[in-house]
Amino acid sequence: MVRAAMRPLAVTGYSVLSALGASRAENLAALAAGRTGLAPSLEPLPFETAVGAVTASLPDLPDGLTPWSTRLARMAAHLVAGLDEPLRRARARWRPERIAVLLGTSTAGAETTERAYRAFVENGAFPDRYDFRRQHTFGAVLHVVATLAGAHGPAWMISTACTSSAKPLASASRLIAAGVIDAAIVGGIDTLCRMTLHGFQSLQALDRGPCRPFSSRRAGISIGEGGALALVERDGDARVLIEGVGETSDAFHISAPHPEGQGALAAMAAALQQAGCRPEDVDHVNAHGTGTRLNDSAEAKAIRALFHHPIPVVSTKGFTGHTLGASGAIEFAFAALAIEEGWIPPSLHAEPIDPDIGLHLPTTVTHGRCRRVLSNSFAFGGNNVSVLVGAP
Amino acid sequence: MTPSPTVAITGLGLWLPGYPSLAAWSGGTADPAAATPGGRSLDRINRRRASVLDRALADVTAEAMADAAVDPATVPTVIGSSIGEAATMIELLDQMWRHGNPMSPADFTMSVHNAASGLISISNKNRGVAISLAADDDTPAAALIEAIGLVLGDGGPVVVACADEPAPRSLVRHAAPWDMLAAAVVIAPLESMQPYYSRLRVTTGGVPSVAPARVGEALGHNPQIGLVDLVDAVRRRAAGIVALDRGPGRGFGAEIEPGPRLHP
Repeated sequence: MVRAAMRPLAVTGYSVLSALGASRAENLAALAAGRTGLAPSLEPLPFETAVGAVTASLPDLPDGLTPWSTRLARMAAHLVAGLDEPLRRARARWRPERIAVLLGTSTAGAETTERAYRAFVENGAFPDRYDFRRQHTFGAVLHVVATLAGAHGPAWMISTACTSSAKPLASASRLIAAGVIDAAIVGGIDTLCRMTLHGFQSLQALDRGPCRPFSSRRAGISIGEGGALALVERDGDARVLIEGVGETSDAFHISAPHPEGQGALAAMAAALQQAGCRPEDVDHVNAHGTGTRLNDSAEAKAIRALFHHPIPVVSTKGFTGHTLGASGAIEFAFAALAIEEGWIPPSLHAEPIDPDIGLHLPTTVTHGRCRRVLSNSFAFGGNNVSVLVGAP
Repeated sequence: MTPSPTVAITGLGLWLPGYPSLAAWSGGTADPAAATPGGRSLDRINRRRASVLDRALADVTAEAMADAAVDPATVPTVIGSSIGEAATMIELLDQMWRHGNPMSPADFTMSVHNAASGLISISNKNRGVAISLAADDDTPAAALIEAIGLVLGDGGPVVVACADEPAPRSLVRHAAPWDMLAAAVVIAPLESMQPYYSRLRVTTGGVPSVAPARVGEALGHNPQIGLVDLVDAVRRRAAGIVALDRGPGRGFGAEIEPGPRLHP
């Protein structure tokens, strides 16, 4: 170990919602059983693809928040309810104006807007209850989360495509270190919507069936939805620690990764450097692993360049699909699960593994030491984030 | 939130309709030909991809970085926009629902909120931290607080740029329309040796004491007007609290105190 540049953040609670289920226990059970949440889309589409839809019933918003009610906001409300107990303790410990809400999304309220816009095109009028400011903007769901959580500190939504919900972990660590806040609700949410499905189809980036990250038969992504929130505090009774967050840019192409994974490698190295860790201190990598040929190849090169031991590398997108702006938060939660449970989920649908990937990709549950996990998220714009999660 | 730690403002940038730079705004005479931002700091390929919003953000970012004499290849960027690429989103919706066409992959790629952030980092060959965020009318305050965290964490300068295009009128039916604007500041540690325009810390609950920039009503409704008011106040060597929104936000303010450097 070398000297850490970042004081670890205590994660005192987290909640997760995905195609695997609406609770930590349901997500855990599906990961352990190797049971995917991907299935053919129930919405009619002019092309074939699998999606990771959240099928759990979502709570209605309380009366005062009804004008903000969207699928995104109801997902957020569900996740805030999952933090009820740690939030109660945090509000007793810190002043509400010292608890921030720092979230990420790529879609914001696009699912609601596209339905409203379709009605406008077909009927010449928007639905009466549609309200762009309360149902579409990035700030709308912030209002819902801050109100339900009783958190009155700074609040913003990071939107950097598929790194959106990983970056708030870095923001929170900086603001706590600077003394601006004491605690933050971090994470993010995204919903399935037609714009993203049609958009990735236009890029020829969708697999027709469930995605197969790192497989020689991989043919693109499957899109999912969901989210995860975590309560991070200056100190406290931590379930896991955030030990380092590396953020870099590729400066290469707006939508394609650097072919050698240079930005990804730099992000992983920066996370380790912040934590004062060496590569051999890490027990598992939760890869971004989207299932596209270019992304998986570039990420594999970056991982091979950093780790010289056979570290288990897993993509959980075969379970949930690529949840885009929510993927960083959901996969942070899966990293925390792995540490708390002492096992690593399988890299679902990876077989037959692409021999050019050159990584150790377990396709069954791996039991054993799992004290420290590196979770990767990479995005359009060449945006890269790597989060190092550790046992307390 | 308690007041943020204090940092220094070392660079400024501005784009308003008719005023393509802070120097033009300081000169006081509008140029009708400067109706849209040029995005001249973007390389040719990325300028072709760029939306009007992206070009405005590139222009003010470049002006502020040059003013502060920071290296565009290394300085972290924090980009703020309340509605981001909403105009591009409308194009995508029209392709889907109005015309029944396949979606344009180029339009889809450029619809992400961090399109400007990505184009700026690619053009500047900047492999560092790039953040793109939104907080409705509190976006300028959020971007400044995020940047202050970066300055204190990394010990170097950070460029903050905020902009919003007019909201699509078909979607935003009941709110007052606004015109496009963009503004940028470079902030740095106070203890760095560089002469600075002003000290800065972000506060809540203070009573604004600095007059806002004299702009038309339509610009005043833009969610990013607070950063324009800050840039204008720093240029005028004002001291006191600048409101970082003009009413609809949560009441964040920028407390400023002039430093040794004068704006040319």
